[in-house]
Amino acid sequence: MLIAGAGIVGASIAWHLAEAGLRVAVADATGPAAAASGASDGAVSVASKKPGVMARLATGSLLYTRALAERGLLAAAYAARPSYVFGAGEAEMDAIAALIAKLAALSGPVRVTADGGAGLLAGAGPGVERLVALEGEGHMPGHKAVRAYLAHPGITALWPARLGAFEADDTGVTIDLGGRALRVGVLVAALGVSTAEIFPGLPVLPRAGQLIVTDAGPVGALPGSLTAAAYLLAKTEGPGSGTLPPVVIDPLSTGQFLIGSSREDHADPTRVDFATIRRLLGRSTAAFPALAERRVIRAFAGIRAAVADGLPIVGPLPGNSRVILATGFEGDGICLSALIGREVAAMVRGASPATDWAADLSALAPTRFGAIRKERVA
Amino acid sequence: MTDARILVVGAGLAGLAAAAALARAGHRVLVVDQALRPGGAVHRQPLPGGRSLASSAQARRWRALMAEVDAQGARIEIVCNTRFGGVDHTGTVLLTGEGAALINPRALVLAVGAREAVQPRPGWTLPGVTTAGALQTQIKTTAEAPAGRVLLAGSGPLLLALGAELVRLGRPPLAIVEAGRPFSRPLRSLGLPLSYMAEAARHLSRLLAARVPLLTGAHLTRISEADGALMAEVETRSGARRFAADRIGLHDGIRTNDTGLTDCAALPVLRLGDCREALGANAALADGRAGGEALAARLAGQPAPTASTTLAREASAQARLAQIYAHDGATRLAGLPDDTVICRCEMRTLADLRTLGPAPTTRQLRLDGRFGMGACQGRFCAEWVARIASPIAPHALGMPRWPARPISVADLLAAPDLTLGETK
Repeated sequence: MLIAGAGIVGASIAWHLAEAGLRVAVADATGPAAAASGASDGAVSVASKKPGVMARLATGSLLYTRALAERGLLAAAYAARPSYVFGAGEAEMDAIAALIAKLAALSGPVRVTADGGAGLLAGAGPGVERLVALEGEGHMPGHKAVRAYLAHPGITALWPARLGAFEADDTGVTIDLGGRALRVGVLVAALGVSTAEIFPGLPVLPRAGQLIVTDAGPVGALPGSLTAAAYLLAKTEGPGSGTLPPVVIDPLSTGQFLIGSSREDHADPTRVDFATIRRLLGRSTAAFPALAERRVIRAFAGIRAAVADGLPIVGPLPGNSRVILATGFEGDGICLSALIGREVAAMVRGASPATDWAADLSALAPTRFGAIRKERVA
Repeated sequence: MTDARILVVGAGLAGLAAAAALARAGHRVLVVDQALRPGGAVHRQPLPGGRSLASSAQARRWRALMAEVDAQGARIEIVCNTRFGGVDHTGTVLLTGEGAALINPRALVLAVGAREAVQPRPGWTLPGVTTAGALQTQIKTTAEAPAGRVLLAGSGPLLLALGAELVRLGRPPLAIVEAGRPFSRPLRSLGLPLSYMAEAARHLSRLLAARVPLLTGAHLTRISEADGALMAEVETRSGARRFAADRIGLHDGIRTNDTGLTDCAALPVLRLGDCREALGANAALADGRAGGEALAARLAGQPAPTASTTLAREASAQARLAQIYAHDGATRLAGLPDDTVICRCEMRTLADLRTLGPAPTTRQLRLDGRFGMGACQGRFCAEWVARIASPIAPHALGMPRWPARPISVADLLAAPDLTLGETK
């Protein structure tokens, strides 16, 4: 088995295959957690997912992530913590109402523990008109999860090695890996933003998000992530859907804050602009005024892999069951990786899908794009 | 809206020489500097009302440059106590402090000088241990030697200059610990410009008259605290020595001060002086002037003027100096004890680095090892991390990222946006 892509999705798939006793290699053009997985806020969040299949899968994956943390595998990576969603103005009030309805309909592990004004959260500022506190979600920095998964002794690491062309037949797949020919039983392409290089027919696009990191201060100043309802709108209705910046203020274990994020269609990680940074920080300090006392030590753009229809792509390449895709999570890989890893590993082994945490991936199948053009071995 | 002005960051030799050249060509120039007065590192001015320790030759050079600047009148505006917060990809520059603003300058000249390298060794992060340059700055601004016993260690001509200055102030250092052996083959020095030789001779005669031990081929291997003093262990060619000091100035060479300086396709960006190539004061002055003239020509669509001969001469002199001071001190990194701090922002040690295994990627160094993740963004540790870890990527800790220095969130939000309305 070769997993191309050492992001959180590829790492989880590799771990699940290795755990089942298969020989697995993971290749990456750069190395582990080199793209979105290493530049994310680490939210294992159901609240932020689009209603429907994404919210259902997120619920299942949250429960499974917790189970993996209890087993020890993700113990150092995952931590339960409260999360807060705030809003101001009509559009965000509607988004908060929709969130509450969504969580009620899921009747899952995430529930609203308080709903009111800024007074519910110590330190919340005048930018908070309404605030809901949630219980049941967690935090898992992508790189920590990747490291935990890839530490499995049954996984061989191959990087830096870029996946080139490949050719599948009935018994396996011949791969060009960084100029070296390789023969494997199954190729799993968990390539994130590089997907379009190998599968130009798939509508996977880079979507950058500017992120700001502050210096360290007292740990625990904010007990969990503080998310603007505009972020839910951006996830539900696509980028540019609201006028207020879709900020997420994420307290890190170091006492730093990670503040994001915009959604811009380009792939340049160095591209930050003061107008956007000021919009994000302006709203963040209105929501949590203590931020004004911090210093910005770093800003950059994380590059997510987005799919035109807003859903990830998971499943066998049409007409080619030995090539399986798992990509296009647009930042949701942190939350979904545990369950997706298990399900894709089952797909690879030809096992029947598990019945717990109902994981119906059919809506994510690549067949929805028809026949897919790919680079072929010359 | 584009500001008609050219922004020069750094009111030292290179920045002001560039500003004068640009103004002579008819441009309006805004010069900003983070210090309270112009001067840069070389001509750092004393605190208001304070006495200057500058030699008469230094003072003459500075007065001549300031006269050039003054002759341009209102075409050059100098705003001190102002920090350059970076240029974004749209060409907007952020300034904070006294001259706080967001502006879209017509061109950007970065003349932010050099920085010192300090190689990690046990105890280098203790209070009382600073760069030699920090001691020099303190002396220039206060016109007084630092209190207590001072030990200078590392490598390079700056140690001799600083030692001589301490002698002049009546407070000779305990010793100068020099890793190189600059006096072992005197003939090599003959290729240096006479002014270099004369300056070195002046420093040496002062140091010798005050009987300051000049330990060459010697390394400061460990600093610890004992009885309220800093205990410095020094390995010399003739055995081990110990010094009890109150202040230790470390200096392991000069580097371009370019961490976090991003380029920008939206406007011309030039680096001049030591932040382009660290070649010292004479070169900075020449590079600033030539760079200013070249930028003026470029903006006017004219061919570039011929390169400055001073610059070539200084580059060759600096190359010779590097040969004279050459030593293998960097090979000592591999033998450092496991608990040696490599990243002083987050106190990450050599053991933390070794845990990452052979050939770590940039992300592993940063996310798993947390090297280059602190406020300095790797300014001080990237060089050593790269040498020790032999990572895969050429930029061990990643590409430069905004901001070059931490910026307060409040300042960032308060800077008036002059890109939308009228020019200042």
